[in-house]
Amino acid sequence: MPEIFIDHKRYEFEQPGKVLQFMLDNGMDLPFFCYHPSLSIPANCRQCIVKAGMPVFDRDRGTFKLDEKGERIIRFFPKLMTACSLDLADGMVVYTHHTDELVKQAQADNLEFILINHPLDCPICDQAGECPLQILTYKYGPEGSRFEHKKVHKPKAIQLGPRVILDAERCINCTRCVRFTDEISKTHQLTIISRGDKNYPMTANDQVFDDPYSLNTVDICPVGALTSADFRFKARVWEMNQTPGIDISNGKGCSTWVWTRDNLVMRITPRFNEAVNDHWMPDSGRLSYRTFNENRISKPWLRPDNKEQVRTTWNNAELTLREELDKVESSQILVIGSPHASVEDNYTFKKYFESLGVTDFYYLPHVVPGAGDDLLLSDDQAPNTLGVRALGYSEIAGDKLPKIVTSAKPKLVFILDDDILDRSDLTSSHLEDAFTVYWGTNHNGTSLAANLVIPITTAVEHAASYINVDGRIQRTVPAKETLYTNRRLNLEMSMGRLDHYGTKFDNWVTDANRIDCIPAWEFITRLNPGSDTFAWESSRQILAEIGGKLNIFRGVTYEQMDEENGIQLNLEQDSEVNTV
Amino acid sequence: MSGTKTFDEKDLAEIEKLTKKYPEKQAAVLPVLWYAQDKFGHVDPSVQKLVAETMDLPEAHVYGVVTFYTQFYEKPMGKHVLDVCTCLSCQVCGGYDILNYLEDKLGIMAGETTPDGEFSIQSVECLGACGYAPMLQVTNDKYVNYLTYEKIDKLIDDLKSGKQPGFESNKMPQHENGTE
Ligand code: SF4
Ligand code: SF4
Ligand code: FES
Ligand code: FES
Repeated sequence: MPEIFIDHKRYEFEQPGKVLQFMLDNGMDLPFFCYHPSLSIPANCRQCIVKAGMPVFDRDRGTFKLDEKGERIIRFFPKLMTACSLDLADGMVVYTHHTDELVKQAQADNLEFILINHPLDCPICDQAGECPLQILTYKYGPEGSRFEHKKVHKPKAIQLGPRVILDAERCINCTRCVRFTDEISKTHQLTIISRGDKNYPMTANDQVFDDPYSLNTVDICPVGALTSADFRFKARVWEMNQTPGIDISNGKGCSTWVWTRDNLVMRITPRFNEAVNDHWMPDSGRLSYRTFNENRISKPWLRPDNKEQVRTTWNNAELTLREELDKVESSQILVIGSPHASVEDNYTFKKYFESLGVTDFYYLPHVVPGAGDDLLLSDDQAPNTLGVRALGYSEIAGDKLPKIVTSAKPKLVFILDDDILDRSDLTSSHLEDAFTVYWGTNHNGTSLAANLVIPITTAVEHAASYINVDGRIQRTVPAKETLYTNRRLNLEMSMGRLDHYGTKFDNWVTDANRIDCIPAWEFITRLNPGSDTFAWESSRQILAEIGGKLNIFRGVTYEQMDEENGIQLNLEQDSEVNTV
Repeated sequence: MSGTKTFDEKDLAEIEKLTKKYPEKQAAVLPVLWYAQDKFGHVDPSVQKLVAETMDLPEAHVYGVVTFYTQFYEKPMGKHVLDVCTCLSCQVCGGYDILNYLEDKLGIMAGETTPDGEFSIQSVECLGACGYAPMLQVTNDKYVNYLTYEKIDKLIDDLKSGKQPGFESNKMPQHENGTE
């Protein structure tokens, strides 16, 4: 097998590749800025320089030439090489800053150059705390600068597009952002203008950087030159908790990081997932974080005698629901599941009403034709359409819904987290004769039309799985506390600095940010005290139960989903699907 | 400038010819921009857009190329564009003195055009004639070397009377002592 010697240590490699990537894959460190594993390699920052050479080959003898000590004679490249663009070669010898003074000096000098005109903005720079320039300067840079002259100033706070703001002074001209629009999103909206110490990225003269993926440039920008118009100045990186999640604003289900502070979601960024979204995610998914904070249903709401909705207690909600159930036959109950709710919620929802004798279960797909693209946006706007379908709910078109309601004349309607009034021909007048119970996360037209509203947890408040448009099941982790969860007790939840060192009485702790809601399954458990069938303690347990019943979900566990960033399901395989 | 700018049949044929010379059309941006600048006198945003559309390339790319080179004019310029080199070698030999003298003489600053539309001044980077520093280039064409204030006065007078600077043989030190 071909071998390479890095800092006197021998490594074997199978695939052709570049030295920098090989080093990163093998846990070695090397500073770099412009290289990005998913983009082309321009080698323009010069930060990843190493000393490299090849053994001298004796063609006549067919062996490597050796010196007196019996060691291979190495012929070094005349200058230091950029590891990001250097191909792995059999026998290659590489020295990094760990073993070579020249490399160490060169890395520090390069940083000194990059920093010559760099503003000292860190205290007010959004990137601070997650800034490669900061980190690498700290680790590899010079202690100070010898540059004593006036720095070159460039424009600051330029609104490149609706979502991205440029600070040209901070830019190190790595061209990552330009390459992103050229190679990934293919809108070609950015370019580097001018040259020398005057250059920075820009859009063409009168164009707006409105790329639907524009915020990815903010992530990959190795400095604070590109910042998110939305997140700018909202929170310091070290104040937030970072929890893995998935994007539920779209059928693709990109892997995400959910950043919270004081139990508010501050931003959403992509999490690397080779099988789904690589390093990217659409802007719309990131901006959907608001739905987790705003307009939330907290505490049950009840509409006594068709008057205004008022807040009520959980006990009262439970009692009212029981009373209403006692009044009707199972045939008078209409149950509508949701492609927006998780597998676990839909499963328990259905199981509960099955136990009451209900046989028909519907869901309304949420597809916007033409909304998708070839990258990471799908026409399907819901995160779990395949999941709700796999659980045996029947799809019903928005224009057919009124007919079902008028012909079945249900007395009790249950709707799981989905604004169906907004997407179908159904109006609140169709529901006038029925008692409607909405189990939802946010207030909307449907929740307002309901007689009873049960607040349930969102994807950032519970652990639950969702099946994306490609049949991949992925799960979420609670990131935001509800009134009933506690990150100190739930080991799955992340603890940030403020959680570790703060107390409940600190002035940055806002109790109102914790929503009074519970997972849908938990409410079902509450409705059936003492029952073995509904005695779930966690969504993990529910998934195991589903796995025991439905082939599709057989063997699917949270552990495996965590390890492999989701599991590809074989949705065709199962003929039992509709017989839960 | 009036009306929208277009390329006519002949232009398009010429651009086609230029583009064909290269394996990739991106490589033809420079010659096509030169062609456009010859035709319109500048490559302002509307010309950049025209070039990008004609070549079916991203406008941002064309914009980036135009701004990289001071030789491409992003706005209409005077009849004579004086590109004074203020890069390192020229700078140490008095490039900025020459620039300032010229600015005072014409009453405009670098980057500006005289009200009569005769002259524009630009401060530019190295033009590859460091050996003859300080120097300037006239409208992307002739170099004027070893600049002095007198030479500037003469140049301006010449240009005003429609005379382009001629070729000037410059002796290097090695020529002088005959040890080439
Ligand atoms: S980009 Fe990084 S180094 Fe520059 S000001 Fe911002 S945090 Fe500081
Ligand atoms: S804005 Fe950021 S990503 Fe773009 S070139 Fe500058 S440093 Fe690189
Ligand atoms: S990472 Fe290698 S040159 Fe920038
Ligand atoms: S520095 Fe003026 S021509 Fe080189």
